Amino acid sequence: MSLPTIQIRGLTKRFGDHEVLRGVDLTVAASEVVCLIGPSGSGKSTLLRCVNFLEPYDAGEVRIEGRLIGYEDAPNGARRPMAARPLRAMRREIGMVFQHFNLWPHMTALHNVAEPLRRVRGLAHAEADERAMAMLARVGLSDKAQAYPSRLSGGQQQRVAIARALAMQPRLMLFDEPTSALDPELVGEVLEVMKSLASEGMTMLIVTHEMGFAAHVANRIAFIDSGRILEQGPPRYVFHESAEPRVRQFLQTYHDRNSF
Amino acid sequence: MRPQVILHSFGYLTQAAGTTLAISLAGIAFGFLIGAAVCAARLSSQTWLRRLGGAYVSVFRGVPLLVLLLFIYYFLAKFGLDIPALAAAVGGLALSTGAYQSEILRGAFNALPRGQAEAAAALGFPGPEIWRRILLPQALRISVPPLINEFILILKASSLVSVVGIAELTRVSMNIASLTYRPLEAYVGGGVFYLAINLCVAGFGAIAERRLAAGGAR
Amino acid sequence: MNPDVLLRYAPSLISGFGVTVMCWGAGGALGLILGFIISLLYRLPFAPLRWLLRALIEVFRGTPFLMQLFLLYAGGPYIGLKLNATTAGVVGLGLYSSAYFAEIFRGGFAAVPHGQIEAAMSVGMGPRDTLLRVTLPGALIAAVPPIVNMLIVLSKETVVLSIITVPELMYQMQTMAAETFTAFDAIFAMAVFYWLLVEATSRLGRRVEARVTAFMAQEASPA
Repeated sequence: MSLPTIQIRGLTKRFGDHEVLRGVDLTVAASEVVCLIGPSGSGKSTLLRCVNFLEPYDAGEVRIEGRLIGYEDAPNGARRPMAARPLRAMRREIGMVFQHFNLWPHMTALHNVAEPLRRVRGLAHAEADERAMAMLARVGLSDKAQAYPSRLSGGQQQRVAIARALAMQPRLMLFDEPTSALDPELVGEVLEVMKSLASEGMTMLIVTHEMGFAAHVANRIAFIDSGRILEQGPPRYVFHESAEPRVRQFLQTYHDRNSF
Repeated sequence: MRPQVILHSFGYLTQAAGTTLAISLAGIAFGFLIGAAVCAARLSSQTWLRRLGGAYVSVFRGVPLLVLLLFIYYFLAKFGLDIPALAAAVGGLALSTGAYQSEILRGAFNALPRGQAEAAAALGFPGPEIWRRILLPQALRISVPPLINEFILILKASSLVSVVGIAELTRVSMNIASLTYRPLEAYVGGGVFYLAINLCVAGFGAIAERRLAAGGAR
Repeated sequence: MNPDVLLRYAPSLISGFGVTVMCWGAGGALGLILGFIISLLYRLPFAPLRWLLRALIEVFRGTPFLMQLFLLYAGGPYIGLKLNATTAGVVGLGLYSSAYFAEIFRGGFAAVPHGQIEAAMSVGMGPRDTLLRVTLPGALIAAVPPIVNMLIVLSKETVVLSIITVPELMYQMQTMAAETFTAFDAIFAMAVFYWLLVEATSRLGRRVEARVTAFMAQEASPA
């Protein structure tokens, strides 16, 4: 049995006095798609950002394919913060897509995708460009390779961002509300790309409000509220069969506005 | 470097600092009146007024202050007008800062969300009332930080009136330097006074900003 | 004003203009380089250094340019710095503007959205690459409009150099005025000249700004 891609145990995080994550346990197996849902302020984005240690956590552990991220064992038995280089090495294998795309505005779409390949994977200029073009084609944007982000729609920018993360050939991908900043009519094109990634077997952990997408694409839904995972299971179970009052209350607002 | 020089001239420097402060205050006060008038012209519905205001801003931001001051000085001399140098200096400062202040005020008005005036009109407020009760107070509040900044700029710009012989901080520092043959101490001393004044103004400005922010929501 | 007078003094006026441009260019370049270095040093996590730099910046921005020039030109020899007027003028402009440019570059760095840095971190980019390929380009582009503004301000400050006898345009004009008793006409011509100069460079500056930031501008209708 292979190690789970993501293993989170007893994750705790504090912002000053406020405890944002209170002992979270979550496992994501290889090729699994897990969607994190919950009200705002529940800690779902913070949880996601702890997985690649963009947000340091205070207690508990996050393991990527068995390896602890963010900390390493000190000689005296305790643990100490991980050195910069091994942390960067681990981050190389984790792809992340942000709510506000975070494309680099002074680079073309192609350059955005090729830059990490050149600087981090150390590919030669031409090879990086080739790979980048292939990735842009993969997300349906080959004709926009020379465009600057300011000339692209939100949906196009997000697809370039996905291509940028994908080009690194990561072992897993994290999505932080990838469609929340998009106009409604642009959401579909991004969800399509994510769906195709899932069908190819990419391991994905997604924070989202798109219940329809979660219902059809996720293997598992995890509902988080006030820093704790209150319910998890297959979509059918969480959406229709769970008796958790907070879950029911949260989903009620969606029933009222969308049907899925 | 002999600090005693600064200590001995402390009295003169303090007096000169007072002159600098007074000139700058007068300059910015008259400048505000000019700036408000020019801003009103630039916001007016009459094209010729807008053009006139625009020309004023262009001229008085484009001509360096030193040139302007000397121009006024020679102008008064040529046409035999017996106006004291101090008035000429304050006039020059006021004309110059008026251009910048008009732009600050104009920027403040443009920063106001248009919806506020529209909402007031929809509620039945008469035009001048909208101006007086809604737009003007907010525009003034937004203007305070850049106006404080402008005041600090005027304090520094006032050093140029030394060329027409007024006994402000820079001129007095020059006098001390030539009398004691110790330019280092003289100019460092003068500089310290400028810094002290600026620090006080900046501190006052921070307090004013906080007071105003407490009232308005942003 | 007598056109013969102008013709006679044309060479000195032209040379004066040349000195003005040279001082502005050299002073501006010095200021940009120094200001950039200061802004980079300011990013180091070394509190005493930042404190020192901040003090320097506040002194140069909190005291009049004229005082700084006097200190440099008249006071310099007392600390072993014997500069001729023009050199003092250029160095003075450079030091004075460096404080402003340092703040401009600092603002440029701050203007780079943190999300872009996070994107670089998330792909495992190292600090050097992040600085050179993401932070620096973003900061420099953001700094262009205020830099253009400051350079125009600097062009007006060059007239102050005439007070310490730098032979730039204003000084030459005043010499001509004194020798030919045409003070008013001369200063009037100066006013008109500088007004036109500042107008022209402002328009040019706006065009340069637009050109440099064009590719980052939002298009009217997104695809």
